[in-house]
Amino acid sequence: MTPITLFENPNPAPAVPDGPLYGTRVALQPTISVAGWPTDAGSAALAGFTALEDATVVQRLRQAGAALTGLTRTSEFGFGLHGSQAGEAVRLGAADAELVLDMMGECRVAAARAGAYGLTPSAGLLSRLGFIGLIPSMERCGLLARSCGTLHALLAALAGPDGRDLTLEEAPPPAPAPLPADARGVTLGVIPQALDGLPAAQAEGFRAALARLATAGVAVRELPLPEYDLFALVHMIVGSVEASSCAGRYDSVRYGRRPPGAKNWNEMYLSARGAAFGTCVKSFLIQGAFFQFERYAAYENACRIRARLVAAAQRLVSEVDALALPLPDRVPEDITAAPLAETCAPFGCTRLASVTGQPALAMPAAGACGALQLVGPRLGDARLLALGETLATVCRGGK
Amino acid sequence: MDFEAVIGLEIHVELNCATKLFCDCPNRPGDEPNANTCPTCLWLPGAAPCLSQAALEKAALLCLGLGSELQPLSAFDQKVYYYPDLPKGYQLSQAHLPLSRGGGITITNERGEARALRIHHIHMEEDVAKLVHELEGRQPISLVDFNRAGAPLVEIVTEPDFRTPHEAMEFLKALRTQVRYVGASECSMENGTMRVDANISVRPRGSSQMNTKVEVKNMNSVRHVGDAIAFEIARQSAAVQAGEAVVLHTRLWDPDKKATLPMRAKFEGPCVPDPSVPAIALTPAWIETLRARLPEMPAAKAERLVKEHGVSAEDAAFLSADTDVAAYFEALTAHGVSAKMALHWIATQVLPAVRERGQELSASPVTPARLAGLLTLLARDEINANAAREVLVALFQSEASAETIVSARGFRQISDTGALDALIDQVLAAQPAALADVRNGVGKATGFLIGQVMQASQGKANPKRIKELLAKRL
Ligand SMILES: [Zn+2]
Repeated sequence: MTPITLFENPNPAPAVPDGPLYGTRVALQPTISVAGWPTDAGSAALAGFTALEDATVVQRLRQAGAALTGLTRTSEFGFGLHGSQAGEAVRLGAADAELVLDMMGECRVAAARAGAYGLTPSAGLLSRLGFIGLIPSMERCGLLARSCGTLHALLAALAGPDGRDLTLEEAPPPAPAPLPADARGVTLGVIPQALDGLPAAQAEGFRAALARLATAGVAVRELPLPEYDLFALVHMIVGSVEASSCAGRYDSVRYGRRPPGAKNWNEMYLSARGAAFGTCVKSFLIQGAFFQFERYAAYENACRIRARLVAAAQRLVSEVDALALPLPDRVPEDITAAPLAETCAPFGCTRLASVTGQPALAMPAAGACGALQLVGPRLGDARLLALGETLATVCRGGK
Repeated sequence: MDFEAVIGLEIHVELNCATKLFCDCPNRPGDEPNANTCPTCLWLPGAAPCLSQAALEKAALLCLGLGSELQPLSAFDQKVYYYPDLPKGYQLSQAHLPLSRGGGITITNERGEARALRIHHIHMEEDVAKLVHELEGRQPISLVDFNRAGAPLVEIVTEPDFRTPHEAMEFLKALRTQVRYVGASECSMENGTMRVDANISVRPRGSSQMNTKVEVKNMNSVRHVGDAIAFEIARQSAAVQAGEAVVLHTRLWDPDKKATLPMRAKFEGPCVPDPSVPAIALTPAWIETLRARLPEMPAAKAERLVKEHGVSAEDAAFLSADTDVAAYFEALTAHGVSAKMALHWIATQVLPAVRERGQELSASPVTPARLAGLLTLLARDEINANAAREVLVALFQSEASAETIVSARGFRQISDTGALDALIDQVLAAQPAALADVRNGVGKATGFLIGQVMQASQGKANPKRIKELLAKRL
């Protein structure tokens, strides 16, 4: 069995004597900087790299009294879940919560896989300082825990402006609209196109969950979105181009191992990068390089389409309390290098929120009810969590 | 065949901000190597760039100073290239949405005609690290100094409006003056705070076609820019004459060989927008507030000096080339010194003296007020020009006023008729031959006699009065 952890904190005791997260045990990924810890992001390209300073979210965990347990194993740069143990520390009770980098839905799928809850907070809510990912415009600090309550406490402690990440929202999120007293006043929107091509078992689990919710009085509305397929396409093009451009930071020249025998700088760079990156990341970077260098117009188009999709998704969400989307609760077991297509396969329904920056909450499967995702309006994170709590009671069979 | 050149310039100016462009590290490249660094400017994984407000303001002020129009929206892109001076693999630069567009400078060309040379756009970018090549024993090693990494730069990209090396040099001199005016940079090519690349192509004179251009780098003075362009025009013209094709490439100017030599190209790709630095949105109100901080620019100042002080256009250009010099001049005239005398003394005495002492004019102990005291005595004929020059030296050495120095050291000139007549009597008696020459119409003998009287007075006599009194006697 592969061990869950890459690094265990020898001194996990909280740094402060109290705080809203006092005693909450939090596991991190080596894609999130902790000063003095090995922060190789799961890549040979960064082998031996030790972060010089804490990510802002880590600083805030410490200030809130959380106990940092250590680092879990991650996929290369947190991209996809092959080789990742995200969620396992929570599932096995070794931690109360985990921070999981989310670029195409990794935190949400890992949460469903672990039978836990996962929140990908709105873009611009949590500082990105100290993250070592591949897709800057999509990477967010996912929160993973056994309950929506813990997620709420984490969100409250970690969110908010950071003078070191100027991409954050300056104003506090708008006051949420009051939540219906119980499930009977809740309306969920379902995009029928999201069910096309879904594995039969997953589609069945999703329908069962909706049926259970409907029985409890939740109104379910169909909200067609003919452009739904474009989310995956935009994600692949924009995401891979960003990765191809910004992965220069992870060049295996300052860290990692430089293969011997290069005759000059150019050769040294090429061979170091070639040797360092895994198959999946390499395919992703090559795809990005293709669009960047050979099809730049297509990339620009994808950026324009993204803006349109953001508006379309926000419009859909405004008509309901949240969108409900399917969510797989397992990923192929193969832990070794997987090809790009296979790595991305489980993330068909999670990319919508990755592209739009909306908050998305993963709810675990319960009995016949499959796992599902709730997508809320941007910055409506608190209300989304409260909604999740209400609906969780229903899915678990309560009232 | 008669060729003409088509030249465009790309000018990098290092802003003199206290800190770097995306972090709070001191912007002092000359310090101990790697002293001024942090995770952000070492470009370590996880670092997040935070655009410096001070750098944005200074860059924007520079744009306004060059008449370039600030854009309501600009943004940073990742300019990808792999080289050890940029270990993160991309430079943050504004490739798609630059800070400003348009603008330009009007210069006077070789034929005395006004030439309006246009700026295409101005963008901000971060500087790269500096490579130092050394030998460790017999092993050549390259060291990387990150003090310069992330330093704030602006790049001014011109239209291909230039036709001659002279125009490029005049443009650069005027640009330097204007950037210094707004206080954005020292713009020294020698110190690397201004770096110029020239794009050059040739075509038959009168043609409007745009031929393949060659980029020339590595000039470290305005003179070298002129020389490199002249060399490259000659080289390309000869090549075309010989039927060879000009291929797109980059060349380095070698100041020792006085030639441009081809260099190996860096790998560069199209720029991708950077998601970590928010786009820069400038409101009209912000721009107007900034514009209010813009000083009077050289052309306007020169025009005003001509109008208000009656100096020639040439003198006005000389004065306004340096905002400190113009300010010094105006302060002198405000103290009642005539424009002509102020101009003469600044050009021939004060500037050389300040330079010789390694001082800045604006910080010189000889303030306009103290110099005005001296020049007033001179204008009133209370001292003569020789004495005035000696008093100036004394002004540099002590804090005493010109008046005090003149009194203490007995520089006041003798204009009193009685005293001068006595001296003249004495000289005429001693120099009968010269006296005879004067009477016989030998012109220079008068000068000799005046000199003798001056000597007899130990330099204190008023030469104008001597001349008058002598004329009466002869
Ligand atoms: Zn720094």
